[in-house]
Amino acid sequence: MSDAPQEKGPRFHAPLRVGVYVCRCGGNISDVVDVEKVAEMAEKLPDVVVARVHTFMCSDPGQGMIEKDVRELRLNRVIVASCAPSLHETTFRLTVMRAGLNPFLYEHANIREQVSWSHKSTPDEATEKAFRLVAAAVAKARTLQPLEPVRVTAERRVVVIGGGITGLKAAVDLSRRGFGVTLVEKTPFLGGRVARLDKLFPTETPAREVLAELFEKVQNDPSIEVLTLTEVKGISGALGMFDVTLETAPRGVTGPLDDPEKVFSACPVEVDDEFDYGLSKRKAIYMPWKGCAPALPAIDFENCTKCGKCVEAAGGKGIELDGEPVRRTVKAGAVLIATGFDLYDHTREYGHLPNVVTLPQLIRMLDEEGPTGGRLVWNGKEVKRIGFLHCVGSRQVAGIHEPPEGGRLNEYCSRVCCTATLHAAVEVRKRFPDTKVFDFYQDIRTYGRGHEDFYEDASNADVLFFRWRVEDQPVVEEGSSAPLAVRVKDQLSWNEELETDLDLLVLAVGMVPRDNRELLDVLKVPSSSDGFLQEVHPKLRPVETAVPGILLAGTAQSPMDTVECASSAAAAAAKAAAMLWSGYIELEPFIANVDEDKCTGCGDCLAACNYDGALSIVEKEKDGAKVKVAAVNAALCKGCGACVAVCPERAIDINGWTLEQYEAMVEAFVADYDENAEEQK
Amino acid sequence: MQNGEFEPKLVGFLCRWCSYTGADFAGISRLQYPPNLVPIRVMCSGRVDPTFVVKALAEGADGVLIAGCHPGDCHYQEGNFRAFRRYPLLLKMLEQFGIEPERVRLEWISAAEGEKFARVVSELTETVRALGPLDWKGRTAPREDGVQQGKREVANV
Repeated sequence: MSDAPQEKGPRFHAPLRVGVYVCRCGGNISDVVDVEKVAEMAEKLPDVVVARVHTFMCSDPGQGMIEKDVRELRLNRVIVASCAPSLHETTFRLTVMRAGLNPFLYEHANIREQVSWSHKSTPDEATEKAFRLVAAAVAKARTLQPLEPVRVTAERRVVVIGGGITGLKAAVDLSRRGFGVTLVEKTPFLGGRVARLDKLFPTETPAREVLAELFEKVQNDPSIEVLTLTEVKGISGALGMFDVTLETAPRGVTGPLDDPEKVFSACPVEVDDEFDYGLSKRKAIYMPWKGCAPALPAIDFENCTKCGKCVEAAGGKGIELDGEPVRRTVKAGAVLIATGFDLYDHTREYGHLPNVVTLPQLIRMLDEEGPTGGRLVWNGKEVKRIGFLHCVGSRQVAGIHEPPEGGRLNEYCSRVCCTATLHAAVEVRKRFPDTKVFDFYQDIRTYGRGHEDFYEDASNADVLFFRWRVEDQPVVEEGSSAPLAVRVKDQLSWNEELETDLDLLVLAVGMVPRDNRELLDVLKVPSSSDGFLQEVHPKLRPVETAVPGILLAGTAQSPMDTVECASSAAAAAAKAAAMLWSGYIELEPFIANVDEDKCTGCGDCLAACNYDGALSIVEKEKDGAKVKVAAVNAALCKGCGACVAVCPERAIDINGWTLEQYEAMVEAFVADYDENAEEQK
Repeated sequence: MQNGEFEPKLVGFLCRWCSYTGADFAGISRLQYPPNLVPIRVMCSGRVDPTFVVKALAEGADGVLIAGCHPGDCHYQEGNFRAFRRYPLLLKMLEQFGIEPERVRLEWISAAEGEKFARVVSELTETVRALGPLDWKGRTAPREDGVQQGKREVANV
């Protein structure tokens, strides 16, 4: 801050001196709006001392001009008429602050998005509308009062939801920056879908080695608390001061088992093993894989019959069949959503066919620790002819694809499947040279660094490519000489219709938004039209949701590969740290304010308020008598104004957005102005 | 007035989170709509006190738009729901003043619905243009015989 006089001193009580600055925006505004005329008319408005025009008000010279005027002309209210406030309201608040003015004595008028860009063919009317907006801004500015941001102490802890690679990476990064982390995972084990992968492209690092490293860091870090079988059930508070309600389901296994294998084999229940995407079976008491974390078995209570055989086999030690869910509340400054994705359900289109697997299932089969021990067999027979079909459940087109009942088409590209498919195709060719590989695609999108190599490797390894058009979808049927036959109109051979016999067809199923409505309802974060969670701005605020303090990372946001998940986790962790670093949060000062002289303590405002604790009725001493009045908790009030609209006494108002200010704006909007008058009223 | 034709003055109360951003998006998309509506940014459609609307009409506006987030999308949980509950009462009151309820419109416009914003403004402009000037003062002024002018009067016109 400069040493310029502060408006809170005598200067604030000085007569109003308003400056109006109209931006040409390099023609974006001035090609339609007569900005000179707007400035000229604005100068005649009451208390307006100066009105100027600049080609780019947001540029350094533009801002410098305003700063100079504030100092030299002793302005105490400033209006800039330019683009949408979402772009530069904050910019100009800082401009006036640098000149020594309280930033909330600034008012913004939007004459680009809502005037010049929208009314190109009616420049006279556009100019009039621009002037009315400026007049209203002046009217409001004349009633503005200096405000101070609300400061609240920030909790130096982040709740990370999701224990997959994204959540793990974010937890590690946050802890290294000195923040406490509560890592919440819904299932009994960490690692998410990456645990079920074999080698990760493009580096061919074994997936579970990467996880093992992260597990070690997370589990040995005293500032990271790992809670498996835990879900977020409620949230209140705001950025810097959330209260997150967590519910932990019982694990069933309370301590290490002497001979886990013996206990597992004692269990009579067998269900599909989700770790192998249903290609194998597991018991109701189980561990999904050798290096899993926590390295403690869990009981799947959805399928457990509580027969007690496991307790017997364990010698009565370490198993508890009648545990209850436990609820508790964690205080956190921010929440990071890393809940991942679901796989596209292909059964509607392909469920009736034999010898069809999804790409994640094939990856399990290729894994030496997987259900087939790494052998390429299906129903006991070696697979000699394998086909890959791209874009199953991605890039769907209305009129060609049918949305599921009550669902939507997945018009987006799942991004990961092309490289993952070619990665698997190359792997098959390498390890099973006698197996022929056919690839049915519409486009190959190997966009990432090193991804294109897999395309080249696949071509060099004699993977046979067939290219179909979206309007000519490949037809998959039971074959006569082989289990399956795929017919495609192949663009690479001049649209010839080709039929290929296959022993096994692999569907490159896309990513779909996770079905976790319950959680999203709790967190109140918006989804994009494709169903994935929406960031505030893809470039400027890529890891923030519309709810301040709730961040997102990984495939909850959009399809990503593991590399992208890791960088998005790092970005979200950095953002959370940046938000909470100072130990306090500055909130907009636009919060409710009670006029205790008018307030009768009726409590209507309380009933209208959406935020627990933001308003309360307190007893106060007034003229020797005890009276009830409404009181505002500055940290919890969001400034929505629901209370203002219901107050029968007009005793409650929102700082910076007062009734008086609205009324002044409305009056200015509808007033009659004479452009030739000496002075406007 | 353009070519002597009546140009309605409209005031729009647009919620800061959805509809105001939707109006910006209409501009970014270069959608063209009539310049008759002047927008006021409000924190929430639930903040729109009915007196704002009455004030606007009484001061010379011919119509008012209240626009907020879609139900379920409110930044403040359920502010738009409050706006929704208040709206019929407001219309009823206006009717009792003898004012056509079509002059006041409540719409849910998301930040992505620039097209809807442009359409709603165009429609409201046309609706109010067809209804003619509001003339609040003329309509609500006490008559010489002391009877408040009201709905029946309008119906007789």
